[in-house]
Amino acid sequence: MNETVGKLIDSPWTELAARWVLGAIFLFAAFHKIMAPEIFAKAIYSYGLFPENSINLIAIILPLLELFSGLSLVFGLYYRGGIAILCGLLSIFIAALSTNLIRGHQFDCGCFSAGGPNSGSDVVNLLIRDILFLIAGWYLLVFKGHRRCCIQKKI
Amino acid sequence: MPFGNIFKELLTLLGVSIATALVINFFSPAGIAVFGNWDTTAGVVSAKPKGYQDTVSAEINDVESAKAIFDQGGAVFIDARSEASFLQGHVADAVSLPVGQFFEKIQMLLNRYEPSTTMVTYCSGRTCDDSHKLARLLTDVGYLNVRIFIDGYPAWVESGYPSE
Repeated sequence: MNETVGKLIDSPWTELAARWVLGAIFLFAAFHKIMAPEIFAKAIYSYGLFPENSINLIAIILPLLELFSGLSLVFGLYYRGGIAILCGLLSIFIAALSTNLIRGHQFDCGCFSAGGPNSGSDVVNLLIRDILFLIAGWYLLVFKGHRRCCIQKKI
Repeated sequence: MPFGNIFKELLTLLGVSIATALVINFFSPAGIAVFGNWDTTAGVVSAKPKGYQDTVSAEINDVESAKAIFDQGGAVFIDARSEASFLQGHVADAVSLPVGQFFEKIQMLLNRYEPSTTMVTYCSGRTCDDSHKLARLLTDVGYLNVRIFIDGYPAWVESGYPSE
């Protein structure tokens, strides 16, 4: 049983699947934020954690960081840098969500288009999702085997 | 792979992302200002659209001034919140026009009110900028006197002013 799991973890196909799925998820996430930076900025504000002067800059830059990191994973070009960025972003998301969960911070802007996650259960779901993504990110970062479908040759 | 190479890749991706982000934001119609207003004491919080035109002169900054306009009569209060929020309670005689359903419902308003009518938009207070979005849309379709009651319905109710 353990041997089977070990083989699965070391398989280039598992690495490829994890890299493509994580890359595609971030591409999808980036697309919505790029199309509506105003709504994303409000979502960042709703966390109540970031300095006021940084909110718009985060809303402008972060989606493109997700986009290029997602592309790097899908095409296998600069993928380790891309994985490192995604792991860093996921760690920040997890820290932000946990902080608000612990301090019981909830935000409702009363807007027609909602901002960030509001109820406790939403936050817990997001937290579990991001932790799973982070585990996948770490797996991709430390993977030592052959990587399939990469534009970049292994250095 | 040595950490130095990972770091170089990371910096390359970071540089490309920042440069592309600024270019896209500059050319995109959905682009936002580099700095928004996120301080409720300075007004309604919002990322501010790019090329933001100051609407401060159109803002009604305190609930008493909004009540004075209400008492004068002739002004129409327009509720930018969702229909469900409107049904739970709204400024007396206000008209519901959720900002997300603007184009479905605007014709009804155009048929009923002249372009010279004073329109006062409101939503849920200073953390909500739907009233600003609605004010921009109303101005775009030809209304000439659009004001924004930035403290919105919660402040109106708290002051005990007429609602239904």
